[in-house]
Amino acid sequence: MAAGMALILGVVKVINLSHGAFFTLGAYVAYALAERGVESPLAAAPLAAVIAFAFGVFLGKSFVNPARAHPFALPVGTLACALLFEQAAQMVWGPHPLSIEAGEPWIGPGGLVIRQWGVIAFLSSAALLGGLKWVLSARPGLPLRLIAEDEEIAGSLGMDVEAIRYLTFGGACAMAAAAGALLSPSGAVTPTMGRAPLLLSLVVVIVAGMDSVAAIFLLSIGLGIFGNACAWLLSPQWSYVALLAVVCLLLSARPAGIVVLAGRRD
Amino acid sequence: MAVRTGSYPRLPFLLIGSASLFLHFFSLVLLADPTFAASRPDALKIGVLAPLSGPYAAGGTSFVQAATLAVEQANAEGGVFGQQVTIVVGDTQGRVDVAKAEALRLVSREKVSALVGAYLSEETVGVMEVAAAHRTVLLVPVAATAEITDLVRREYARYRYVFRVGYSLPQWAEMIGAFLSDRKVRRYAFIGAGIRWNRELGETLERIVGPQGIAPAYTAYYSPGNPAFDTVAVAAAAASPDIVILADPGRNSVSLLKRLREAAPALPALSIGGALGDARLAASIPLSAPVYVQAAAWRGVSPAATEYVERYEHRFGAPPVGYSDTLPYDAITVLVAAWRKAGSGATETVVAVLEREAFAGVAGMYRFDAAHQAHWGTGPGALRGTFVRWERGGARIVFPRR
Repeated sequence: MAAGMALILGVVKVINLSHGAFFTLGAYVAYALAERGVESPLAAAPLAAVIAFAFGVFLGKSFVNPARAHPFALPVGTLACALLFEQAAQMVWGPHPLSIEAGEPWIGPGGLVIRQWGVIAFLSSAALLGGLKWVLSARPGLPLRLIAEDEEIAGSLGMDVEAIRYLTFGGACAMAAAAGALLSPSGAVTPTMGRAPLLLSLVVVIVAGMDSVAAIFLLSIGLGIFGNACAWLLSPQWSYVALLAVVCLLLSARPAGIVVLAGRRD
Repeated sequence: MAVRTGSYPRLPFLLIGSASLFLHFFSLVLLADPTFAASRPDALKIGVLAPLSGPYAAGGTSFVQAATLAVEQANAEGGVFGQQVTIVVGDTQGRVDVAKAEALRLVSREKVSALVGAYLSEETVGVMEVAAAHRTVLLVPVAATAEITDLVRREYARYRYVFRVGYSLPQWAEMIGAFLSDRKVRRYAFIGAGIRWNRELGETLERIVGPQGIAPAYTAYYSPGNPAFDTVAVAAAAASPDIVILADPGRNSVSLLKRLREAAPALPALSIGGALGDARLAASIPLSAPVYVQAAAWRGVSPAATEYVERYEHRFGAPPVGYSDTLPYDAITVLVAAWRKAGSGATETVVAVLEREAFAGVAGMYRFDAAHQAHWGTGPGALRGTFVRWERGGARIVFPRR
């Protein structure tokens, strides 16, 4: 999810506050499939990604691209889209929490508990990020890199910048929906479930910087471990506060993010 | 980046804005549809305050559905004073300021004859001020903080319009204590959200069950916005309690229970907050160890309870959870009965009737004490609540033993 957010920030150059809504969409797709007897999040993730890609492309083409020139309008507009989706989800599925069976955990050596959905989600996100890293460093990712660096040069080279932008937006939305589908068995499915992941991925992207997929991946894991360590050592209520305090410290020390590639132009 | 000073692309904004407003109002109208008050100026109006948006929307929706059902039942029985009863809903959003503003709107603009609500303790204490200032009867179904009835006791003249139908925290703790004792629990873990009534209930429970030799092995309150469930579940399991008490009224209890089952598959859990009373959720919960739910009433407790559950299920497509729906249903039932017994909607007359009489509800017979608190607990004549255990085929009543 954070990688998708970074893509949108880097290529489309907008803060997409509707990203959490696509996460929620993915979870509801998984729930809808589970209700029909298909209880595997792995089966739900591709379907959720396709649906979210279509919605994302529509949103990118009809709203994000035209409104891009007005930097203050986009966060408000994408937030409105997120609230609109939450309201629609509440009308379709109701406000009550829904749930998908998580399956029995695997018990490893020494009583180590290994969650099925956790392993699936981790491997899927690692594969997704690996693929993204490859795309960005190889020839197919050249237009994305060029647009992220300088849109005018990309345009002068004959690239369809507008199309690449909304396709990127759709792709990032698809990543958020896949994440939502994969993580849906972990808790309850509700219309507002995308809010917390949205905030956390925004934090991860801003702190990690948008230049390194590996940094985003490692920082996501690091912040997760840090939050749990604080909950264990201090109190569960302090984990969130402590995490945000560390984020503030990191940003005051390196406002451009932890990893900024050498030679990057601002 | 260059910022163009030309006109905004208005169409997308207009579309999104209009769609948002349409969806919002359409959903509110749908919720209140059967008894939508605006078109019935001659009707007797009850103001219902519940969170229909925000983190407690699920509980608030059940609240309004149950209120709707109770009013339909009252009207099917002929209404009150020959008039139909309607509800006017105020969305409190789970916020004190909004709850007070909505209460004020219902009383001064909608001219409701009585209020029922709100949902959270914080909201309800705020709404009490509006009810007191406007001398309007307020029935409190679910908010449990002791402050509500303490205020009535201390400042009777000001707050005499407030009656709590639901259980207070000490009564709640007493009922939970009786259940723990029945299950031979000696050490329990108490896990809740960092909200007022969760904390107060944890402290009250510890004080009430202490003399019975029951003590907390682990207590934790998490941030509802971003709870650290993994850590909480592992820490709770490491403390080796006999049972884990889940106090969160919302979706978090589902996530936490899933983590608990991973950390300690054989550890029993008791949900007292309501969410796990939902049969749809229960179907996805791992039942490797007992999952108990505490409710005000349940199907099979009495003919009235069974009839209520069946009507609710028929009307809304899913059975009630037994807490955030059953208590509001009873609050409206008690109010309507008080109006009928009083023969008038005059506030002082209704207050006198509520203080004096007994009222039949789904959970049993309601009587109010000097602090206007319904008599819940374990003593003679008290409303006792119900504890059920989820099994693959449904829920089985396990306490009080019958």
